[in-house]
Amino acid sequence: MSEGLRFVEEKVDDSVKLSLFGEVDIYTSQELKEKLYSIVDNNQTDLIIDCKELNYIDSTGLGIFVGALKKTKQYGKKIIITSLKDNIKKLFIITGLDKVFVIE
Amino acid sequence: MNSVCDKIELTLPFKAEYVSVARLVASGVCNRIGFDIETIEDIKVAISEVCSKIVSMGSKITDNYTIIYGVSENTLNVEFVCDDPSIKCIFDEEKDGLAISIITALMDNVVLCDKSNRIISMSKVLEGNR
Repeated sequence: MSEGLRFVEEKVDDSVKLSLFGEVDIYTSQELKEKLYSIVDNNQTDLIIDCKELNYIDSTGLGIFVGALKKTKQYGKKIIITSLKDNIKKLFIITGLDKVFVIE
Repeated sequence: MNSVCDKIELTLPFKAEYVSVARLVASGVCNRIGFDIETIEDIKVAISEVCSKIVSMGSKITDNYTIIYGVSENTLNVEFVCDDPSIKCIFDEEKDGLAISIITALMDNVVLCDKSNRIISMSKVLEGNR
């Protein structure tokens, strides 16, 4: 059915990079939330979210990105989202989140 | 629009793990109509947004809800129905702003608060037939 969601976490210079693989929907979003929040709280560094292999996301997942961004800002850090596929980038533009996140 | 409309009905439990099935069926149906891949992805997102909201609400009187994919020559009509009359007008403009923005931007016609027995109805017309 769903291809699910997998993560790869690595240190990159002074940041943490989290690569997402698969789909973020209502079924996998809680897993994403726990992962992002724990990275932000445990590292208190900039967070790079690599979406090269992220095939699907909906508003549940976007809401979690926003929640993680709020937490990151509490530590004076930022979230950088990289390698968005066109169909997903479109959702950031529709919702105005392309102006909220650093997207590369 | 072709007046002949085939209907494909998918009944799903109020469980998050089955929302992806609604997307899979949407892919097949949209491909049959002839939508391009980008548009199919858009339609999948819109349908999934509604399913996620229905699932998150749940029901005390029924275990399932139904998605009706109506297929005509150049149009996809999607209706969401449920035996629980409390599941109506499910999107809240304040809480569900992201979802509402996405659904209304990606589909051609959306009725979020349907006065009939449907929860929500939406449609998408094949490019060049609008």
